[in-house]
Amino acid sequence: MRGARRHGRYTGAVSPATSTSRSLRGLRVDLTTGVSVEDELPPEVAREYLGGRGLGVLLALRGRLYDVDPLAPENLLIFAPGPLTGTGAPASGRYSVTSRSPLTGTVFDGNSGGNWGTALRRLGLDYLVVAGACDSPSYLLVDAGSSSGAGAAGEAPTVTVRPSGDLWGLDVPASLARLRDLHRDCEAGVIGPAGERGVLFASIVNNRGRSIGRGGLGAVMGAKRLKAVVVAGNGAHRPSVGDPERLSFVAYEAEKLLKANPITSQALPEFGTSVLVNVLNQAGALPTRNFRESRFEHAQAISGESLRRDFVQRRAACRGCGIGCARRTSTGDASGEGPEYESIWALGAACGVGELRAIVEANYACNRAGLDTITMGSTIACAMELTEGGQIAGGPRFGDAAAVVALCEATGRGEGLGKELGQGSARLAAHYGRPELSMSVKSLELPAYDPRGMTGQGLAFATSNRGGCHLRANMLGPEILGVPKMIDRFATSGKAGLLINLQNLNAVLDSLSVCKFTGFAMKEDYYARLLSAVWGETVEPQELLRIGERIWNAERLFNLAAGFSRADDTLPRRLLEEPVVSGPAAGRVVDLAPMLGEYYIARGWDGDGRPRAAKLAQLGLSEVAA
Amino acid sequence: MSSAVLEQFRQIGRDLFVAGLISSHGGNMSVRQGDRILITRRGSMLARLEERDLIDIGLEENDANVTLASTEIVVHRAIYRQTSALAIIHTHPPYAIAQSLMKDEIVPVDSEGSYLLHKVPVVEAQLTAGSTEVAELLPRWLKEYDLVMLRGHGPFAIGHLLEEAYQLTSVLEMTCRILSLTEGVGGDVKEYRKGSDQYGSW
Repeated sequence: MRGARRHGRYTGAVSPATSTSRSLRGLRVDLTTGVSVEDELPPEVAREYLGGRGLGVLLALRGRLYDVDPLAPENLLIFAPGPLTGTGAPASGRYSVTSRSPLTGTVFDGNSGGNWGTALRRLGLDYLVVAGACDSPSYLLVDAGSSSGAGAAGEAPTVTVRPSGDLWGLDVPASLARLRDLHRDCEAGVIGPAGERGVLFASIVNNRGRSIGRGGLGAVMGAKRLKAVVVAGNGAHRPSVGDPERLSFVAYEAEKLLKANPITSQALPEFGTSVLVNVLNQAGALPTRNFRESRFEHAQAISGESLRRDFVQRRAACRGCGIGCARRTSTGDASGEGPEYESIWALGAACGVGELRAIVEANYACNRAGLDTITMGSTIACAMELTEGGQIAGGPRFGDAAAVVALCEATGRGEGLGKELGQGSARLAAHYGRPELSMSVKSLELPAYDPRGMTGQGLAFATSNRGGCHLRANMLGPEILGVPKMIDRFATSGKAGLLINLQNLNAVLDSLSVCKFTGFAMKEDYYARLLSAVWGETVEPQELLRIGERIWNAERLFNLAAGFSRADDTLPRRLLEEPVVSGPAAGRVVDLAPMLGEYYIARGWDGDGRPRAAKLAQLGLSEVAA
Repeated sequence: MSSAVLEQFRQIGRDLFVAGLISSHGGNMSVRQGDRILITRRGSMLARLEERDLIDIGLEENDANVTLASTEIVVHRAIYRQTSALAIIHTHPPYAIAQSLMKDEIVPVDSEGSYLLHKVPVVEAQLTAGSTEVAELLPRWLKEYDLVMLRGHGPFAIGHLLEEAYQLTSVLEMTCRILSLTEGVGGDVKEYRKGSDQYGSW
């Protein structure tokens, strides 16, 4: 096959360990032509976009991906860790994958923990751009090239595209195990059967069970007939740190904060993210039965406390993380990762399912197939409401735990109703003539926070650049947990500024790349000090937030070019018009319009949601907009 | 203006006075809302704020309300323009002012101050109240520190919420009281914190 030959060697000089040069070194691989070339971006790019998500949107704009069919060979997959990845900064073993999403049509980056990002940096690489498509199923191997590893004695990584052989068709755990047999010490990001079949919310999963979960970037890989991206050979290059002593001091101070904060030192380590089930339910913000209600009568049965008691074997952590929010679980018949809070909600409360064992099994089914659990569960919930409304004959009904497990498996196999569910809830609901029953924004299903119980989160969902998402900014902190301080969660005025800072900061964290959970204890000044130590020169907190603002506006420009507008900055009709029936949020809807107006003004955008010329000039984006 | 915002100003203003961080008519507070600022009225008593004491004024452009706004409006505007602050509190706490008259930076020895502040820079200006000199000086420091001490005058604290700025102000005064007590007693302070020798470089 064309892509199965050995590609050119990456021969660019790598930085010595003490260098503070911020040139970004990468590889561009074209699966169609079988050519790979080394690439380098000047230090200004790092200074303006950092890496990770920021670098991803820059390259997506330069590649004009807004004009590209997400599943066409012309779409790109941009893999990028950040400047803190692999340096010893707390919870920084992360990386991003950016592309144009087949589910939303927006620019879309997923950010994941694990060890893949660190492994790439240990090859002396800051990013990897994958273009084109293989003519038969293959996997990409980036190899240190010798036992001593890349970066040592002139060794440089080699790039090969190999036939996937019997890998194609294997589920995620089997694929990862097979690749470990083939390449000792490898770190791999793989797709499962869902990605191979083009399920629009297929994920990319790495060795530690961590996922690029949302937006269907696994389907982009599948369309390229790319089963896996494998980094092998245990590279010897150490990411450069300008002031190691300073980094050690600041990291120590940061760890002190993380250990002193009960969320990062007790709640997440002890219960994992599922500790939030009871917290959100008590607040009347746990969406139930496709957001028809905001409290779930079986919340205790599916809570983090119940999960720990009945299913958790041990906790786990991403590389370099002292929080350790991941769970290794077992049902007795099977074992695996999770479920996380969002998965418990989507496969549980959203579907009216209060049987935790079934939720764990459904989560395993999603993990095996390589499916985003949030979209999966929310789409099943949508199908349940369509069934109860008479639009789907003989479909699943709320509370049917066995149906949830079966539909997760059927979606991975592309069988029966599962094939329809594989298009996501927006397409499903539109197909059956009830588009308002899709609880999504920009076709991305909303996660586990009912904004009628936390109105700032409604503004966060509506304005998110990748659709209904809690990871662009989560008002859980100020509206529910009191981080940094508790604010009135039902108020509408004065929240835009707080949300914008969160959005900008999260863009920074995804670009550095650092786990957002550190934000429960740390503020931007700590991240600035960590980056200053790594770069060996001062980066002010305000500069960091300005970078986040630049990234946010660059994403906005991408989406505007892709055809999105103010009309897309909205919420499902139910959240705007149907008051919560009972509980602490009873009678509430989201009064979005005034918040959105305040948001546009505070962003420096016009009334149509387009960045004004002065804002673009301030951020150095005028040429991009032109 | 929402009643919730007014209530927030009233509660924190009262607390600032009760805690001895301001005199009867001293200090000022503001929050940023998009391209507008809500700032306390010039001469208002922070412990007794009414709706008429909160002045709505533009961040970039002046309007008639500048006749009512706090003397420090020029400083608040400069801070909002150049930092990520959404709230500012300026007070006149006595122990912090006393420390600022003797030092170029305040380095806490207590645990709470060490965690939250590490170090507070002390800067000085000849014209300390509402001056363009201060407006040019302070934002440069507040880009790196959430709290900066203006020598002989008082701290400017910033945050995303008023409560954050209030907390920093309160912790600073507590830290300075402890410093003054230990310095008054004399003798060496026994170190208990790993890495504290680097706090000066924070």
